[in-house]
Amino acid sequence: MPPSLPARARGSAVIVVFLLLAAVSVVTGALVFVVDSMARATYALACSFVAVALALLTFGLTYLGVITILMMVMEMAIMAVFMIMFMGMNPALMPMDMVHGKRAALAVSVALFALLVVGIVVAPWPGAAGSASTASDIAALGHTLMGSKMLVMMSVSPIMFATIVGGVVLASGRTRYDRFGDDLDHPAQDPTPGGVGR
Amino acid sequence: MTLQLVLVVAAALFCVGLYGALSQQVVVMVMMGLELMLNGLVLAAAAIWLFLAPRPTGEVLLLVVLAVMTLEMAMGFAVAVLVHRRRGSDMTDMAGDLAG
Amino acid sequence: MSPHLSLLAWALPVVPAVAGTALALTRPTSRRVAHGATLSAAAVTLALTIVAAATRPSTSTPFLLGTDLGLRVDGLAAVVSVTVAAVALLALTFAAGGERDVDQAPGRFGGLMLLFTAAVLITVTATTLPTLLLAWEVMGATSYALIGFSWRDPERVSSGLVAFVTTRAADLGLYVAAAAALAGGHGLALADLAHADPGPRTVVAAGVAVAGLGKAAQLPFSFWLSRAMVGPSPVSALLHSAAMVAMGGYLLLRVPDLLTATWVGPAVAWVGAVTAVVLGVVAIAQRDLKQVLAASTASQLGFVVLAAGVGGVTAGTTQLVAHAATKALLFLVAGAWLSALGTKALPALRGAGRRWPLVGVVATLGLLSLAGVAPLALWASKEAVLASAVEHGTALYAVGLLGAALSAGYAGRVLAVVLAPLESDADRTADARLDTEEEGTREVTTAMRVPMLVLGLGAAGLGVLVLPPVSSALASAVGDPRAPAPGLVELLASAALALVVLVVAWRVRLPEPAWARDWLHLEDLMQRAVVEPTDRLAGSLARFDDEVLSAAVASTARTTLRLSDLAARFDGDVIDRAVKGLAHAVRRAGSLARRPQTGQLHQYYAQSVAVLAVAAVLLVLVR
Repeated sequence: MPPSLPARARGSAVIVVFLLLAAVSVVTGALVFVVDSMARATYALACSFVAVALALLTFGLTYLGVITILMMVMEMAIMAVFMIMFMGMNPALMPMDMVHGKRAALAVSVALFALLVVGIVVAPWPGAAGSASTASDIAALGHTLMGSKMLVMMSVSPIMFATIVGGVVLASGRTRYDRFGDDLDHPAQDPTPGGVGR
Repeated sequence: MTLQLVLVVAAALFCVGLYGALSQQVVVMVMMGLELMLNGLVLAAAAIWLFLAPRPTGEVLLLVVLAVMTLEMAMGFAVAVLVHRRRGSDMTDMAGDLAG
Repeated sequence: MSPHLSLLAWALPVVPAVAGTALALTRPTSRRVAHGATLSAAAVTLALTIVAAATRPSTSTPFLLGTDLGLRVDGLAAVVSVTVAAVALLALTFAAGGERDVDQAPGRFGGLMLLFTAAVLITVTATTLPTLLLAWEVMGATSYALIGFSWRDPERVSSGLVAFVTTRAADLGLYVAAAAALAGGHGLALADLAHADPGPRTVVAAGVAVAGLGKAAQLPFSFWLSRAMVGPSPVSALLHSAAMVAMGGYLLLRVPDLLTATWVGPAVAWVGAVTAVVLGVVAIAQRDLKQVLAASTASQLGFVVLAAGVGGVTAGTTQLVAHAATKALLFLVAGAWLSALGTKALPALRGAGRRWPLVGVVATLGLLSLAGVAPLALWASKEAVLASAVEHGTALYAVGLLGAALSAGYAGRVLAVVLAPLESDADRTADARLDTEEEGTREVTTAMRVPMLVLGLGAAGLGVLVLPPVSSALASAVGDPRAPAPGLVELLASAALALVVLVVAWRVRLPEPAWARDWLHLEDLMQRAVVEPTDRLAGSLARFDDEVLSAAVASTARTTLRLSDLAARFDGDVIDRAVKGLAHAVRRAGSLARRPQTGQLHQYYAQSVAVLAVAAVLLVLVR
């Protein structure tokens, strides 16, 4: 007995839409590593994410889909910034092919895909354990988040904050110890003095 | 519309991302591959949750996965910037410090 | 016991021992110095024994486990030690008079004689078996050195060896006795031996008896005394009259209760009686003066042993002392003639007694005493012995009497020769040539005459020992108050018998059987019965040792070597190789383990994907 979707997600229209979105997401995902420039690759990746997010929306996972779209678009914008920063060139115009071990990577990926497909097809999936009405999805999720899963969400935010701080510390070339010395008591030593022209 | 279909699509996304992560030399491109893998993961997790155990708890797991994605990106970029600063390179091949 | 007296008891053996050791080690070549030192030490020793005999000191000090090193001068020891010291002094005096053998190494001679004297004095005064054994062994060793004194002559050394080995073999009895005494559980003191348990006591008695008979040259050990005659005459005078041979008898006299408590006593008495007879016959058959004297010594000691066997300590002691004086005198006479005429063969000594009248007189005196002619020393003492024997059966008495008659026989033969009319040196028969053994000096020195004179007085006068009150004093001194006095009839009868036999022997040529001439072939018998089997046994044991034990040991060693070679090869080829192989494999695995550590991120990804995929597949399949 095949597992079933919520009522809203049944029907041939949903399947067609899903298959379309799936094709878009896989193809654009593949394009990421095919196109010449990093800028295009970024856009392709964003497309792939958006297609998956849309598929989630068709399943009725509104919250997740929206969140994914928002996050991924933002992330791709940041990626573009980094690319320009590292490459120091106009990423849209310069062709590039920076790969190694292409054949081995392809072999590993294809083998894994074959393995996964075999596993997916052969595995005895259990039936649906009831179906949730997706109408109250968001409300239920909200209740869950604010109730039993409060700890998870509360710990996610400090972790994120700590990550941001750590990332900045890692990435910055000169810290305050470089500028003010080990005991932070020297006058600042900057290659170019900042501030208001003092 | 079956679970297997969605899972196959997710597997395809995952494997495409894996190919990227394995084959790219530039750190940013490797990270793109990782993002794609996580993308497939999100799709698969969402499908399994939806098809097999549609309770809000699973959705929380997905949110955590998304958070981990952003953390991974942030740390990855921080490390990439650090390597770039120290060595003037953005190629993974140049950072072979872990070679045994 | 005041400390001075215990010191005196120590001084008795220590003075001659120290002097003798010093002389033997320093070996002064000057005759004057050597003889002077020797004689002074001997004189001091004699003085000490006389003082000790008067004061009766004793001492003891812890020695071995459970027994002491004890010395005590009791009555018996007093009499015998004075005798020994006196004879030693006289023999050494004689030796100083120009003995050829002695003059080769006067220091060594004096030293060894003094050491021997010290050992005898310890033997005489010992109160415990270990003390006795100690001295007994030193005595044996020094006797060997003295008999083989002229060590450049292999014949003499081998004679010394025969004497030493024979007596030594008999000495084993003392060790057995000591072991049995320990087992008997009443200690090793000589006085306690008789109190041991009956079983061990018999063993102790037998062991002591064997040792005593061996030293006293009784049958069947007599032949060593014949071989011992190659030693210098002073040595014979001391060792074969007053000391070593006499010590065998003395040992038996020391433990009368022990002997009489068991069957050993009668057996010993019979051995003594038989020896007295048989060796008397042997003495008659000899053609060499010293051999006659040697056989006679064994025969006369037979009476001492006979007395000891029947518990007649007084009689035995009397016989010992009388014989010591008489026989020492005769040995000195033989030595004097030997150095003067260069021979001791009887035919060559024809008329020797007339050549030097003084020597002839004392020699006659000694021979008459030996013959048992009244009232001389040995007549009296032999009567005392026979008086003790008569209580233990007429047979014993009869055999003893026969022995006494025989002694008159050989004494008569010798007398007939030496007192024969003097012939000129020129017309001697072929078998009676002078200077056959050494170059004769044709003179008898004063130093030689003095001790002879003294000993002659002893040989004549010591008969008083059996007459009261001297005999009772002696009996109480040696602790044998019930000593039977010889009856007047026996005294007269035996004196008459001796005279008759003496005259017959003088006049008639007695038979000289070949078996007696050769001391009953005892040495050959022993050679065949004991020495050769022992030798063969030792040879086969040695072969067994070589071919079995030694071969086993050697083959064990070879096998061990081979095994260790194998083990080494196994170690090298298997264990070592395994260890090295393991190390090599580990190293290879290590270098292999380094290979995936490329530092390349994408390869790490690929590896983790592979591992996870394998793990997942395994999980699915295995579950």
